Amino acid sequence: MFMASFHRLARKAALAACFSVVAGTGVAQAGDITFWTWRQEDRAAYTELFRDFTRANPGINVKFEAFPAETYNTILSTALAGGRGADVVQARAYGGLEQVAKAGYLVPLDIKTVPELGNLPVEALAAESLRADRQVYAMPYASQTLGVFINKAVFSAAGVSVPETWEQFLAACKALKDKGYIPIANGTATAWMDEVFTGIFTNPFLGPEFVADIQAGRATFEDKRYTTALSRLLELRDYFPPGYTGIDYATGQQLFVTGRAAMFAGGSFEISNFRKQNPKLDMGFIAPPAPTAGAARYVAKFFDGGYAVNAKSPNQADAIKLVRFTGTKEYGDRFAALLGNISPIKGVVLADPLLAEVAKLNEVSMPYIMAVYFRFDSPTGSELLSNGVQKMLGGSATPEQVGAEVTQGIARNYPPFQKK
Amino acid sequence: MSFGHRRGWWIGFLLAPALVTMAVFVAWPMLGALRYAFYDFHGLKIGGFVGLQNFVDVLGEPPYRGWTYTALWHNTIVFVSLMVLQNGVAYLLAFALLQGLPGHRVHRVIVFLPVVLSAVIVGFLWKLFLNPLFGLVNQALLLVGVHGPPWLGSEYTALGSLILVNTWHWLGFSTLVFLAGMQSVPAEILEAARLDGATNATLLRRIIWPLVAPSTTILFTLTFIGSFNWFELPYVMAGLNGSPGGATDVLGLYFYRTAFGSVSSGLQDFGHGSALAVLMFAFVGSCAAVALHVLRRREVAL
Amino acid sequence: MKRLAEPAAFQALLLVNALVMLVPLAVMLLSAFKSNAEIFTSPFALPARLDFGNVARVWAETDFARQLANSALVTASAVALLLVFGTMAAYALARYRFRGRAALFLFFLSGLMVPLKLAVIPLFVQLDTLHLIDTRLGLVLIYVAMGLPSTVFILTGFLRALPGELEESARIEGASEALIMWSIMLPLARPAMVIAAIQNAVPIWNDFFFPLVLITTDRLKTLPQGLTVFMGEYNTDWGVLFAGLTLSALPITLCYILLSRQFIAGMTQGAVK
Repeated sequence: MFMASFHRLARKAALAACFSVVAGTGVAQAGDITFWTWRQEDRAAYTELFRDFTRANPGINVKFEAFPAETYNTILSTALAGGRGADVVQARAYGGLEQVAKAGYLVPLDIKTVPELGNLPVEALAAESLRADRQVYAMPYASQTLGVFINKAVFSAAGVSVPETWEQFLAACKALKDKGYIPIANGTATAWMDEVFTGIFTNPFLGPEFVADIQAGRATFEDKRYTTALSRLLELRDYFPPGYTGIDYATGQQLFVTGRAAMFAGGSFEISNFRKQNPKLDMGFIAPPAPTAGAARYVAKFFDGGYAVNAKSPNQADAIKLVRFTGTKEYGDRFAALLGNISPIKGVVLADPLLAEVAKLNEVSMPYIMAVYFRFDSPTGSELLSNGVQKMLGGSATPEQVGAEVTQGIARNYPPFQKK
Repeated sequence: MSFGHRRGWWIGFLLAPALVTMAVFVAWPMLGALRYAFYDFHGLKIGGFVGLQNFVDVLGEPPYRGWTYTALWHNTIVFVSLMVLQNGVAYLLAFALLQGLPGHRVHRVIVFLPVVLSAVIVGFLWKLFLNPLFGLVNQALLLVGVHGPPWLGSEYTALGSLILVNTWHWLGFSTLVFLAGMQSVPAEILEAARLDGATNATLLRRIIWPLVAPSTTILFTLTFIGSFNWFELPYVMAGLNGSPGGATDVLGLYFYRTAFGSVSSGLQDFGHGSALAVLMFAFVGSCAAVALHVLRRREVAL
Repeated sequence: MKRLAEPAAFQALLLVNALVMLVPLAVMLLSAFKSNAEIFTSPFALPARLDFGNVARVWAETDFARQLANSALVTASAVALLLVFGTMAAYALARYRFRGRAALFLFFLSGLMVPLKLAVIPLFVQLDTLHLIDTRLGLVLIYVAMGLPSTVFILTGFLRALPGELEESARIEGASEALIMWSIMLPLARPAMVIAAIQNAVPIWNDFFFPLVLITTDRLKTLPQGLTVFMGEYNTDWGVLFAGLTLSALPITLCYILLSRQFIAGMTQGAVK
């Protein structure tokens, strides 16, 4: 008994003596705020970023909590609905943001309380706003670009030059295959990658005009332009790994980083991950092939998410300080350097040559259609498309069937399609 | 009178802790959630009362309708296959363990080892085994000159593969339940039957089968409920959409994906999700109640 | 001849089964010493070298010892409560006739058919009202509630099947109901209790969903929750995760091996009587 209480006393004294230890025990103290994210991989980077913040704002420590991406939405919405949760939370963009913000769980941000919003381009802010009133709810942190990773070493070993048109692309695939490489690492077993794959290769065939037509209700996904673009994907099937319908995302990544495959269709969000798995990998990132020589090679682009303040946070003033900090150019520079992502903050320096390449490609970009426009209602366009394309590439659906399925599913909640 | 009164208190005392725990932590929250089935949701924001609209949607409106019936059909396949495979093999294994052959203690531990693993690890292990490029299954087939299919990637083999993996994972549990039933069969009955010249096959069919009826009831009911609420293994191995293209879509996945959305590309929709949960509950519950009634009559009759 | 052939057939069945069960487990063990690239491209080869790096990372990046202790505490308490509450309820349902018995049985059984995850928000609010958020007790109570249906179901099934004569003769001799239950009937139900215990212990031990939702204080986190740090959005460290999961599967495997002796003891006892 005596020993136990003595220990307790001693511990209390020790705690009082060194304030920094307290943060480590996880008990939120005055001056501590918590941050929730689904990015387990980013723990080390955020530890540094938040150290910068504490240096600029002495007395406010940020406790980093990461959750598995698959359960994050559920955990976050449960905590928010229960009036709890972190002070600052990582929020998704577009529909994912809207479902949380609409329920009143996040603090609206404006230029008066968060002047740093002015450092961001309008399209980035739009991704973190409600469509109805354009109210911003989160500070955007990254844009992502979808394109094709190439293993430069494999290309030069096979004596194949980097393709620019669809014809050249198919020819390059064939040449790589003849040399014993797997041309394209992707398989179709992981559904969301099928949407990514489609987003990458169809955009140059569709063009911005198609997107405008979809928005205006002048076209649906049954449109000939769309189904023709989808049917192009079928031409790539010969260049996938053997048994590609059973190759999942993780296996595809391994095929690429170990140099067994020459290309990987993916997003800029993979860069740091690929580098970590094989630091010696000599990668390039190229835009998808153009339909014809000289035509635009649109990359698909979208905004990833943002940092938002919990409406029930007892530490709102400090939380806002953190969000303001994440809107500064200094933060953007560090963010890009540490995480290998493109910060949308104006004037950010991209020291990494590969990131700079990606940023250059962004100059000729189109939206990642389903993510940007059709993730607001359930079932989402993304779910419908990935399921449909998975079937199509597996040989059990035609491009026309996929187009019809997607259109029908979206039409439930999308007025422009209902007129038809 | 006084015994009856005391007996009432005694029964109440036995039941109370379990009932209170269930009521507070399952029944009450669940009623709260099932109520969602009658409301419209805008993201996480609860909207207006919509009556039975969500039920009408999932049963009759595309694209939900197709998903609902496909999933229900797949669940039925899963149930029948698991009854035959998992419980059938378990019945034989339990009888083999009962023989007291050399090493039977070690075998009893081995058969149960997979049961202690989580679905995450089991699912991932078997994904490695079934991988079309590097997997042991196809590499072994190649030795005899057969090019195996991409097991989890083909609509013809994916569901079957998942069922086999589930059998691997849970075989030990079924075996143990049968073994417990068989061990309680009095040794004299078995001896007498053997003296009459009964072979093991006759023993299994005529003598033991009726006597392990309580074990069968337990396994039938748990397999039925488990098959129609099957979620974890398909989630780990086939993903929320039931890859490839819905070939492994089952009610558990369909419900989860509707209520909670997928990682970043789906949305939470508690209205339709709860409607599905209510329907699954009504369906599984009524079937289980009927089956249980029949099985228990059988226990008595046998 | 037949007498000889059949034991051989049974022995063969057991051996084949042992092979099928053990090979994947061996791969699991091997994977704990491999890198991601090795796991994917040569999953069945021996690791290039015996690298304890994965194990070391589990140790360094999770609070392994404390989280193991928390998991053990939560699982043991939940299973103990489950067995006590579950056996009591099952005994009442199996050995007595009273009005509403069938309905009560179905009430318990229905707990098996509802997806409790759907109720996560109302459950969270409920626990908050009871001041059980961020406590191990809250977790224990959820697991008890989740495990009761199957426990009651399995135990009722076995308890019903016990012969009534022993009970009757004891009752005639004037033994109290509690004494009959405790010293006559329950010893016979030990195998069923082991089955119910292990069937519930495994999912409780492996669950990371409810700890993630409920527990935010570091020193209260459980082992599976701690291991989720290796599950990334785009890249999961499978080698490290395997090391962690293998380590975390060890205690429960040992428990089963110990309990499996109990299983035999209970059964032979049952057979003797």
